[in-house]
Parts: sequence; structure tokens; C-alpha cells
Amino acid sequence: MDFRWDLVWSSMPLLLEGTRLTVQLTAIAVFFGIIIGTVAGMTRLSRGPQRIVAAVYIDFIRGTPLLVQTFIVFYGIPGIIGRPIPAYWAAVLALSINSGAYVAEIVRAGIQSIDKGQTEAALSLGMTGSQIMRHIILPQAFLRIIPPLGNEFIALLKDSSLVSVIALEELVRKGQIIIGRTFRPFEVWLAVALIYLAMTFAVSRLVNFTEKRMKIHA
Amino acid sequence: MLKQPMIEVRNLYKSFGKLEVLRGVSLTVSRGEVVVIIGPSGSGKSTFLRCLNYLETPTSGQILLDGVEVDPKKNLRQVRQEMGMVFQNFNLFPHMKVLENVTLAPRKVLGIEPQEAERKARALLGKVGLADKADSFPDELSGGQRQRVAIARALAMEPQVMLFDEPTSALDPEMIGEVLDVMKQLAQEGRTMLVVTHEMGFAREVGDRVIFMDEGLIVEEGPPQEVFSHPKQARTQEFLSKIL
Repeated sequence: MDFRWDLVWSSMPLLLEGTRLTVQLTAIAVFFGIIIGTVAGMTRLSRGPQRIVAAVYIDFIRGTPLLVQTFIVFYGIPGIIGRPIPAYWAAVLALSINSGAYVAEIVRAGIQSIDKGQTEAALSLGMTGSQIMRHIILPQAFLRIIPPLGNEFIALLKDSSLVSVIALEELVRKGQIIIGRTFRPFEVWLAVALIYLAMTFAVSRLVNFTEKRMKIHA
Repeated sequence: MLKQPMIEVRNLYKSFGKLEVLRGVSLTVSRGEVVVIIGPSGSGKSTFLRCLNYLETPTSGQILLDGVEVDPKKNLRQVRQEMGMVFQNFNLFPHMKVLENVTLAPRKVLGIEPQEAERKARALLGKVGLADKADSFPDELSGGQRQRVAIARALAMEPQVMLFDEPTSALDPEMIGEVLDVMKQLAQEGRTMLVVTHEMGFAREVGDRVIFMDEGLIVEEGPPQEVFSHPKQARTQEFLSKIL
């Protein structure tokens, strides 16, 4: 059986359409993931009962498959709120909440990695806890967590393929559609894989570049 | 009427778990006085200093600043603003330029206008001999320069008291002098200073009073000449014989 390169190329336009949705979903989930993760990570380190809420959220998300979480959001929640959730928003919600939990652990580790002396110096100047967090700890922590955040986003980019199960026509789903027409799984999945590889490679380069530019004074 | 002491410490105790680090320390520091605290490592001298601004919470005892009792529930931030602190490891903010290190707290804590804060910061950097380093980052400076920036940063809050926690212990020998010179200058200006140090030359020359601590207690105190030349306590004699 011969390999048909022409099929790899002719699949591209449709696959790139799916790629657009994949990138879009990932970008939105990254955005909300950072916000949710920063809040959850800081809450996890705070004192008081809210800390437990953050810990339960993080443990639940990290301890269950994204696929199941996606099902819960898409098939489960509509039963409770009494109306369906569009697949697109279900995907955004599931990916953001999932990413937030992993980012929370990264943020927590980043905050804890900042030397205690930084807080002490700021306290000795009369700064408040929130001033210290905002001006001293978080700016330094974010520099340090750029590499693990980059890894998390590469993982998220790949994991976004799971939302194909709720019939969202992102990259993987488009691949399935093309295979349904051509019956050539090898060429199509290889094309899909190459697109993912190109994207993850680009993200990791970008992370490296950002890290080098920002790590000068830390 | 007696002049109000700048700092009054009454019967300070501090334990870390079962370990008693301070076992009843009392001390009165007058306005403008330079008190140098010496002693072997583990004697509690750094812990004592860090209790003054509640970086460590004392187990019991009282601290009065300018006659007002330090109460973490009421006036802790005000007290900290009045007690500038210089650390062994500088603890400069590495992500900020030198100028920002010095202006941050006056702007955020005291609410001083950025321009005014910058003007004052530049004056202070000039005072510590680093006017030309305002736009450098801390990691571009030598240890001695970093510590002088840290002193300027503390001074920018216009504190009534300066606390120095082994300010030259992390420095290469050739940089110790430049930091001690700045501290000497502050002493001559009449600042109230508490200095934990191993620099006996500085203690002798600049200190108004030397305090020898050991095992969480003040063992001996007095004018530097007296403590260094005629120590009364056996433990002071033993300590000084080892280091002088």
C-alpha cells in the first residue's frame, strides 16, 4: 500500500479550519486558566476556610479525567440548570476549569519559591499583605513560572482534542470527518499530528524566548 | 522630667517550640543612641532584633516605641514604618531598579507623589554614594553596593530607629568598609541605631553602648571601652578572647 502525500496536502484546508477552533479554545482557556489558577493558587496558600475550597477544587480536577469533566459540563450541568449548554461554551468551561487547577499548583509553587526575606523586607517597610503580594511576590513568581506555565499550555493545546467528543469541530474532529470521506486514516492522522507538532513547537519556542527576555533580573 | 526613651523592651521571651531563644531580655535605648549587640551565634541577638518589629512574634514581654506599646493588632504597620531594617542578605527587590526599590514603600505606604519620592530617593542614593546606580538592577551591583541601597531604602521611610541585622556578614571583606562608613555617618547624624554585628572595630568606634548576649540573655552591657577592655563576666571574657 502506498502512502498518498497528496491526501495529506488536500486535507490541510479543512484541518486548518479545525486548527483555528483548537487555537481559539486553547487561548480562551489559557486566559481564564491563568485568572482562575492565580486566584485558586493564592487562596490555597491563604489562611481560613476558603483554603479548603481551593484544595478540593484542585484535587478534584487533577484527580479526574478531562474527558469525564467535559461530560459532566456538557451532559450533566444542563440537567441541573434546566437548559442545554452550547458545545462551544461547554468546551471553554471544561478546559478553563481544568487548566485553572493545574495553573493553581504552578502559581502556588511559584509563590512559595520566593525567598522569605522578600516578604520580611517589605513588611519591615510597613507594606500590607496585599501590597506585598502585588508588588513583590507575584511579579517575581510569574517570571519563575513561565516555563511550567508553557508546559501546561502545551498540554492544554493537546488535551483540547478531547472536546471532539462533544462534536466540536476542532482539529481532531475535522480529521475524523475527512477520514469518513477518504478512508485513509494514516495520512490524515499524520497530517493532524504534524499540525499539533507545529503548534506545540511554536509555543515552546515562544516560551523560551519570553523566558530569556524576562529572566535577566531575577 | 526624664527624656522619653526611644525604645523600651521589658522582659522579652521568645520560644521556637521547646527551644527558648530569648529568656527575659530588657533594654532601654535613648534617642540618638547607637547600641551594638554582640554575642556568639545562637545567642538570640538576631531574634531579639527581629522581635522589635515583630518579624518574629515574641512569646511574651512588652516593647514600647517612643512610649507607645507595640500591639500587633493595633499599630504594627506604623511601628514598622518607624523602624527601618537592614538585613544580612540585603533582600532588595530583584525585579525593580535601584530607584524603584527606594521609592516603592514611600509611594505605596506613605502615599508620597512619585516625583517627590524620586527626588528624595535620589538624594538618599547620593548620601550612600550610589547616585549613579539609580537605574541599575540589584543584580548589577556588588554586595557592598546592594547593602547601601538597602540602607537607602530603609531610610526613605524616615524611620525613627534603624535596625541592622548583621549587615556586613554576607559581604566580601573588601566591601565591609564602605557599608560601615555609611552606618558611621548615620550614627554621627544622631540616628538611633541597634546593630547586631561581628565587627568589633565598629562596635568599639561607633557604639555608645555594647551589649553582650548569650543563651537568650543580656550577660553584660556598658560603654565599648569598658566591655572590650575590662569585661566583668567570665562568658564575655571567653567570647572576646576567641574573637579579638
